[in-house]
Amino acid sequence: MDNTNTLIALFHESTDTAEAIDELHTLGIEDEKMVVITGVPYPKGALGRQLEWLTLPYIVLAGAVAGFLFGLFLAVITPHLYRLDIGGHPPVGFPPAAIIIFVFTMMATIVSTFLGVLWEMNFPRFGPAPYHRLVTAGHLAVLLEYPITLDSQVRQVLESHKAHHIGEPERMAL
Amino acid sequence: MSEASPNQPKHANHPDQMPEFEERLLLAERKDWEINEAVLQPMFKTGRGFWILVAILGAIVLWGLYAWGYLIYWGMGTSGKNRPVYWALFITTFVFWVGISHAGTMISAVLRLLKADWRRPITRGAEAMTAFALLMAGLYPLIHLGRVWKFYWMIPYPNNRFMWPNFQSPLMWDLVAIFTYLIGSSLYLYLALIPDMAMARDYTDGWRFKLYRVLALGWRGTEAEWHKLHRALGIFSVAIIPIFLSVHSIVSWDFAVTVQPRWHSTIFAPYFVIGAVYSGLSALASILIIVRRSMRLQEFLRSEHFDSLGKLVLVAGMAWVYFWFAGFIVEWYGNEPIVRELIHEEVSGRLAPFFYLQMSANVIPIILLVFKRIRTTPVLLLGTTLLVNVGMFTERALIVIGSLQRNDLPFNWGSYRPTWVEISIVAMTFAGFALLYTLFSRIIPFVPVWEIKEGRLRYTLRRIGRLLVPTAAEME
Repeated sequence: MDNTNTLIALFHESTDTAEAIDELHTLGIEDEKMVVITGVPYPKGALGRQLEWLTLPYIVLAGAVAGFLFGLFLAVITPHLYRLDIGGHPPVGFPPAAIIIFVFTMMATIVSTFLGVLWEMNFPRFGPAPYHRLVTAGHLAVLLEYPITLDSQVRQVLESHKAHHIGEPERMAL
Repeated sequence: MSEASPNQPKHANHPDQMPEFEERLLLAERKDWEINEAVLQPMFKTGRGFWILVAILGAIVLWGLYAWGYLIYWGMGTSGKNRPVYWALFITTFVFWVGISHAGTMISAVLRLLKADWRRPITRGAEAMTAFALLMAGLYPLIHLGRVWKFYWMIPYPNNRFMWPNFQSPLMWDLVAIFTYLIGSSLYLYLALIPDMAMARDYTDGWRFKLYRVLALGWRGTEAEWHKLHRALGIFSVAIIPIFLSVHSIVSWDFAVTVQPRWHSTIFAPYFVIGAVYSGLSALASILIIVRRSMRLQEFLRSEHFDSLGKLVLVAGMAWVYFWFAGFIVEWYGNEPIVRELIHEEVSGRLAPFFYLQMSANVIPIILLVFKRIRTTPVLLLGTTLLVNVGMFTERALIVIGSLQRNDLPFNWGSYRPTWVEISIVAMTFAGFALLYTLFSRIIPFVPVWEIKEGRLRYTLRRIGRLLVPTAAEME
């Protein structure tokens, strides 16, 4: 039998939210069991939460290296396969090769950043997910999972910090 | 809920009227849902004037497509291009559109990295301008090919024709650079749009809800999502700046690597880049003023934004004059016969009207923009920035068409007059740009709502002596 409960609570103020989160921590609810949903990006640490480690920079780096190698292949290898002598220049010259390699490196960097961040965010994700539409109206939502034995204490903490709409989260098709 | 009446997320009570805002935007005591509404509500108003505008622009685009079809069917001879003016109005307009595209990155990426808060309400308009201007620019190489159906020959893939793109050709650099910039600016625009798509999703139903839902990709606004988005936008901002510099440099090298008099210059790349920034920022100011008026976005696009934008245009204009003069003085002092002839043509010959139009339309705005009243009065700023783009278009025409009329072989000199086909196609791209922008402004939140809300978090009023001064907190 499932002995955990899931709850969503909305707040008007970030300070109330941060204080409620601190008290929930003292009740033994771990950071991973809480999700804060906001319509505005709050500064790092404002809500007393740890930010997760990102692999995005490594994905971007890998993309840039791949773009560099592809540009190198196009600009340096392929002219030997399809030789075309023009204007007394060698088939591979440094300035044109530098331009092609640069452009392909940057293209791959940009594309890998975009794909990397979507991958990190697990997007697109259109299935039902716990959410509240008042978030975009300026409310802060705290979604938490906790042992059912703590139910009354959790509700007390939330109410003491002016949380409202406390209840089971609605799973919406996003 | 109804599309025509955006609301506080679907069930809340709220006033139907758009709130009147008096205070400085980043300090205004407004609820978040009021800001959402103030941005969304004008998007749903498509009155008769809107549809008349769409019909006129659509008709010009259709006429331009007919002209392009005519050009394809009857061949390049229907254009005014001739020997020696092989590059004419198409390439002039191509260079102009690439230039216009530069302001988006300048405003969005550079000012994001510099943490300039005044950028917030105008970034989306700037990014959209970049994407649409590049789309228009990208048409010209296709049009200029003549046999447009052979376009795929430029794509490097093994084929039974035993042909391969020449990567030593600046035209190939152009292709890949513009394609990269188009991809980069489109993805940059879209990435910053995702949270606002989620906001619009929460406020609409019907076809708009379906569209915004797809574009929001399932965004909820969790801390992790915001953190990742910020990181990605930071990487984009850094990566796209060298691309933006490279694109117009490469366009300039289309000209500078030839031995054509007046083109073969080492200063062409920075000269083109600064000209692009000058014309792009001016175009952005013009567009923002028009959109502000038509969509009643006075609350978001305020005099402080136009003041800052006007200052940027002023600085870019002064830099443009410097680069122009640096190129001109060397050519004038060198006194080479063909260059001398070209300068004579411009200063006192057949091209003189265009030369003086170019100089006055580019220099007078610099003098005007010194005055704060010009920068902060929308109608005056609109006139000034439109004048800049008249000047910059003329400048491109003089570089491309003017220079080609004279070369090292005097028996091969010529002149050029555009035909109705070229003029129609050029008009098509101007109307197409305006049409895309008009439709965009009614489908996508024109003002980046989440960025404005984020900016409001940073601001407070602090008393210094007898003054209450807006103060920004350092949060990143």
